Amino acid sequence: MLSDVRALTGQVRRDQRRTWVALSVLAAATLVAIPFDLLFMWVRCDDTGCMFGRQGLFYYWPAALLIAYAVIAVSYIRAARDRGVGTRVLPYAITGAVTAVVITAVSLAAAAWFPDNPPFDGGPMPYWWIVLDRLVLPWGLIGLALLVLARLERHLALFWFTVGYLVLVLLVVPTNEGIHVPFVTDPALQLRLSTVLPQLIVAAALLAGAIGFHRARPGQR
Amino acid sequence: MTASPDTSDHPVIGLDEVVHQRVRLGILAIGHEARRVEFGYLRDQLDLTAGNLSKHLSVLEAAGLIDIEKGYEGKRGRTWVTLTPAGDAALAAEISRLKVLIARVEEKT
Repeated sequence: MLSDVRALTGQVRRDQRRTWVALSVLAAATLVAIPFDLLFMWVRCDDTGCMFGRQGLFYYWPAALLIAYAVIAVSYIRAARDRGVGTRVLPYAITGAVTAVVITAVSLAAAAWFPDNPPFDGGPMPYWWIVLDRLVLPWGLIGLALLVLARLERHLALFWFTVGYLVLVLLVVPTNEGIHVPFVTDPALQLRLSTVLPQLIVAAALLAGAIGFHRARPGQR
Repeated sequence: MTASPDTSDHPVIGLDEVVHQRVRLGILAIGHEARRVEFGYLRDQLDLTAGNLSKHLSVLEAAGLIDIEKGYEGKRGRTWVTLTPAGDAALAAEISRLKVLIARVEEKT
């Protein structure tokens, strides 16, 4: 009897999930961010080096995250209603909206504080600081929100996917520093283009997850 | 019905007949997990006829364990089932008692 209960609740959980939709929307948001990042980035170079600011992140991501999580929530609610079950997506959507507020607050605080008070007196930054910086970027916060979704849906596969994703965006891909682009000698252009590849990698990871979860979803009844 | 199982009594004594019945336990389990579940979904998952499911829903509703809400989506009539707090508590108590019962049986074997 207990195993029947477990089987029934497991089926309900599988029927409530739309993981592939969430990951697809977030992958799309990441791809659309790239031109915004390039368009609004400022770069100033002189003999001593270059300074740059990624204003596009601030202009684009808070609104994009709000829209993305609204789209995800509506998609979950519609699909669940069509299937005849309720949904657990609302806390995830609220977490996503909170991440939009966090990005805005961090961006404003950094813009107000760091120009006159560079962290570590402008010297080399410790690794933990770099990881923390990546965590409060949109891609790190997307991962944190996905952990909430995995918990809400009791979705072990999504949990492990998210752990892998967070390792990728926090420890492997330099989302805050960019990746050097070969054959580009102009330092300003190099800075601009170096931000593109990390975003493409993050979008590809999310898209790969979306495809994987789409293929693994239970058959339509 | 809603109290946590008393381990001094044999767990079978505390089983609630309304909840313990296989189909009704299934309805409560699905309703708890889904938060809100539609009649057709329950019928398909539990492999019941509409009439049979209706009878079990009536028993649960009379016991105050579920709320039934009837409405329309377009021209299509839909019936939604939601567990009441008493229904959630009854399900939790039933599962606890079943676990205690299994533990006792495994202890003796």
